[in-house]
Amino acid sequence: MAHALEEGLALLRRRGTVSAVLALSLAVPLSLAGFTTSLGLWSRPFVALENKASVVRVLLHPRMDAGQRRNWINEQARLHQDWTLSEVDREALEERLKVWFPYLEDLLEGENAIELPTLVEVKAGVPEEVSVLTEGPAVIAVGPTSSIDRVLGLVARTATWLLGCISAILLASAFSLVATWIHLEVYRHADEITIMRLVGATESAIRSPFVVAALIPGICAGFAASVGTWYLVRMVAVAAEAVGLSPPAFPVWLPAVEIGIGVILPVVAALLTMARHARVGDAE
Amino acid sequence: MKRYRDSPRASRARRLSRKPELDLVAIPDVRVPQLGPQNRLRVPEKSGTLIGIDMIRLKSLTKTFDGRRILREIDLQVDAGEFIFLTGVSGAGKSTLLKLLYAAERPSEGGVWVAGQRVDQLSRHKLALLRRKIGVIFQDFKLLRHKTVLENVTFVLRFHGLGAREAHRRAYQVLKRLGLHHRQSALPEVLSGGEQQRVAIARALAYQPRLILADEPTGNLDADLAGELLSLLCDINYQGATIMVATHDHALLEAMPARTLVLHQGRIEYDGSWPP
Repeated sequence: MAHALEEGLALLRRRGTVSAVLALSLAVPLSLAGFTTSLGLWSRPFVALENKASVVRVLLHPRMDAGQRRNWINEQARLHQDWTLSEVDREALEERLKVWFPYLEDLLEGENAIELPTLVEVKAGVPEEVSVLTEGPAVIAVGPTSSIDRVLGLVARTATWLLGCISAILLASAFSLVATWIHLEVYRHADEITIMRLVGATESAIRSPFVVAALIPGICAGFAASVGTWYLVRMVAVAAEAVGLSPPAFPVWLPAVEIGIGVILPVVAALLTMARHARVGDAE
Repeated sequence: MKRYRDSPRASRARRLSRKPELDLVAIPDVRVPQLGPQNRLRVPEKSGTLIGIDMIRLKSLTKTFDGRRILREIDLQVDAGEFIFLTGVSGAGKSTLLKLLYAAERPSEGGVWVAGQRVDQLSRHKLALLRRKIGVIFQDFKLLRHKTVLENVTFVLRFHGLGAREAHRRAYQVLKRLGLHHRQSALPEVLSGGEQQRVAIARALAYQPRLILADEPTGNLDADLAGELLSLLCDINYQGATIMVATHDHALLEAMPARTLVLHQGRIEYDGSWPP
């Protein structure tokens, strides 16, 4: 182990710039992946909103009597079985209007109280479909069919997927970069590997320095990625607080995961490359 | 040093009863200023030969390269503790025979046994372990370019299980024995051919192998150094190691009475003492 560490460090010293580029190429996607995870956790409630059934308000003609209203509701429920329709009581509607628009109180009370239209709430999976009701004579207005929640959810989900895909592509590139670097180093050291084999080095003794040489930039990349993620999350948190949103969290387990991936990814790349080119420098 | 004050009989009995252990520190200097029949090395009575215990066995060994037979049905048995010269003209198959012994080549036909193990059928791991018992002095030195003289010797000792300090100590002793300790920090590229050869020799001897295979070990050495090397190999053989030296240097053969194999056109033409 000590021998592998010495040889691996010697390899890194000889290829200092390449090692730094390697660490950076790992740190950037790791950092982005960590940031994506953090954003994903933060936007999870918004993403959930996208699939939440939206409530669309429909105003029925004020001249409709109770029987007509009931028939209309039953008819719509039969035609659109995924909808849930419920009539809002007049008292409840008045209460809501008083809360939202206190200056309407005079109009809603007393002898000359205005006649309110009937408000029906339609809970629908696809709120846009409710707008078809405006075509009928019973309906005087349909509330907003595109909810802000839904838009927020869609944006959050798309952003998470996009960042996730970019992170995955960059991580795959970093994996490929490590594998290519190890591949080149193995061929560059083919003579040494031959000599080592001839003087009795086992395969593990031959391969371990290369694994160490991949592992150390990986650990550094993991630490750098943790710092990078923390910085990005902090920037978003400041922006979110400025607009009155709750800031995204930086989970304590995230740095550990980033360092873990920083270790595992290059080691697996090195091991696979060494296994693939196991016969390099073989004396036979 | 005590062992050298023992009677030769007691010393020999002890050698035969246990695995040979080389101690380069304890090896007394045997200086041979110049090689030649006039100053042949006085070898003690056949030292450390374990009659009946094969160190090397070749059975109907044939090696073919591109349809050309380099070695033809060679049968050979070398007892543990023997000192053997392998000679012949260039292209006779000396180096190929050595390569087959340390499994750098595989036989086309026949089998190769070293220390009781058939080398051409060993797994990679077992082959690596077997090679740790074999010290090879390569004709082209095979030194690591990026490592200093000392590191070239210590790196082998490190994966033989020695700690850094012990490996450095032992490597320094071997280099001192070969007169290279003052160049321990130099890279191989700045060394002369003779110095590189001595580093290769130091590396082969440092881990005290049971079998030493030397391919033209004196090819780049002057007569004094060649004599020094031969005396060193002789001392190591005296302690029980089996040694096979491939050479076409007749001065070397005449300097030391030993079993000599003459290869000619891929066959062992002569097997006996030198001169025939």
